[in-house]
Amino acid sequence: MPTPILIDCDPGHDDAIAILFAARELDLVGITTVHGNAALPQTTRNALALCTLAGLEVPVVAGAAEPLVGVRSHAPDIHGRSGLDGAVLPEPDRAPLPGHAVDFIIAEAERRKGELVLAGIGPLTNLALALRREPRLASWLKAITIMGGSCTLGNVTPAAEFNVWCDPEAAAIVLGAGVPVWMVGYDLTRRVGFGQADIDRLRGSGRRVATTLADLLQFYLDRQRRVFGLEVAPMHDVCAIVPFVAPELIAHRPTAVVVELRGEHTRGATVCDLRDKRLTGTGGIQDAAPPNVQFATTAETRALIERVLATLLRYP
Amino acid sequence: MTKLLIDCDPGHDDAVAILYAARHAELLGVTTVFGNAPVEATTRNALAVLELAGLGVPVARGFAGPYLGEAPPFAAAAHGASGLDGAELPEPSRAPQGVHAVELIVETARRHRGELVLAVLGAHSNVATALRLEPRLVQWLRAITVMGGSAGPGNVRPVACINVFSDPEAAHVVFSSGARILWLGYETSRTVLLREAELARLAGGGRVARTMAGLLDFYRQSYRRIYGIDGAPVHDAGAILAVLRPDLVRHEAVALEVALAPGPTRGMTVVDRRGIRPGVELPAGRAPRPANVEMAVAIDVPAAVETIVATLLSYP
Repeated sequence: MPTPILIDCDPGHDDAIAILFAARELDLVGITTVHGNAALPQTTRNALALCTLAGLEVPVVAGAAEPLVGVRSHAPDIHGRSGLDGAVLPEPDRAPLPGHAVDFIIAEAERRKGELVLAGIGPLTNLALALRREPRLASWLKAITIMGGSCTLGNVTPAAEFNVWCDPEAAAIVLGAGVPVWMVGYDLTRRVGFGQADIDRLRGSGRRVATTLADLLQFYLDRQRRVFGLEVAPMHDVCAIVPFVAPELIAHRPTAVVVELRGEHTRGATVCDLRDKRLTGTGGIQDAAPPNVQFATTAETRALIERVLATLLRYP
Repeated sequence: MTKLLIDCDPGHDDAVAILYAARHAELLGVTTVFGNAPVEATTRNALAVLELAGLGVPVARGFAGPYLGEAPPFAAAAHGASGLDGAELPEPSRAPQGVHAVELIVETARRHRGELVLAVLGAHSNVATALRLEPRLVQWLRAITVMGGSAGPGNVRPVACINVFSDPEAAHVVFSSGARILWLGYETSRTVLLREAELARLAGGGRVARTMAGLLDFYRQSYRRIYGIDGAPVHDAGAILAVLRPDLVRHEAVALEVALAPGPTRGMTVVDRRGIRPGVELPAGRAPRPANVEMAVAIDVPAAVETIVATLLSYP
């Protein structure tokens, strides 16, 4: 039986790839949406349009439109005004399910106690609200897996990665919830991406879904080039799904991670203790806190991209 | 010949930096500050290292604590209770100068206008105060070379290193001073290691080299115990090499800010490595700032190790 997974996201080009990868490789029980790469109405519409494109019969439920504490922010410089520019997507063939994402997350976790993996690949507002709303949720989940944060290398600011920076308080709640958290940060995902040749392969397949994805990823790669000077379109979000499909492709280490909530230069930074410190009680050298996260340290970049490509090419 | 004044907190790696500078530059002064040990100990250690090598360089004592905040985290775990454990050093035959470190820094810079390079190898308290007391100091200095902070993992804190963490406000003053700054962070400085083979060569050398072998073996054991690193890192000497052997250290201009807010990133050196392309428009607060330091991004480690060992062996 494939692992049941619920994806909370803000599509988003890399979210789109994560959804399509998970839908073929795992038991995707639902998609919940959140503010982030674009405003909530857009990310919700994008999730529905992707399901229509790929023929996925997966429930989609809208969630939080605003962060817990801070001011909402989007990423039109990377994802375009719609949050998913670059291709004409089909008109969604249905509306989101009624109700709030938070209630849907709690209900699905209760129904699959001990089995459900909750993936947070956008700002973590819905996950935090769900953990607060239902204290038993932490014990019902098998794991939380997130794409967010970074070890010292930011994208939205020099120190902070976008998803955590959008709602640092929510991230702090999720990392402190006591659920096993798998975390992959921008320091790693920035290097894991589709190059031009990979996009050309999608297009060259002539398949309907792959061709549309090629249009989307071409837009995304062009923006990554223009803004960050990158030569790959980073597949940030799919790196949070891969450990449950092909665990050999990403190495993790137990790490203590906290979120910086203050600071002119560092709000939203994830402080990852990667010091390799062996001794405790050494005076001025602060001891490492107990690990709360399986932190992704290295990836088999090429093999990972090939694995994802192969899955995408199985769509009609 | 390059004119140097070293502000430091010896410290094993500080001792290597002093001995290297005295052989390859005109070492005009050594000023001391708290850090690896209390300032009484670091001053005594500076005098003892100079005594060992028969060097008559003026020594002036500086600050015992930071501008603000808590007691500094003395690095007894790494350097021992004296700040320089591991070998018998000669009793200093002289006392420090009757002036404060700040005065010696300002006077030396005034006398050697446009020529002096100031090496900051401990907490930044002395140098920051000198910059505030004498606004012309910035113009008088040829450059400042700094070992401290990190663009990766920290040491005394998950993302902060002792030299900057010991007095973050002072470090902010130095980094924002407008002086030409060569910056070496811990993530790079710790790659220059004297291993067992190098220490054996030193042990077969003259009196100075033999003493350094004993000191550095203590330091190597500390690093193995604390961090699982096998070798004595000569952090501070790297900042001297950056000035005297520019052929061995590759630099890139970056914007660096010190995180000052209380919290898990206080004392972090936040380096903008996002790669934002020129002309990209970002909202206020996220736009790249002008570069203020030349960051050491790569060191020719074998050549650096060789010149350090050869220099220590050149002493009687």
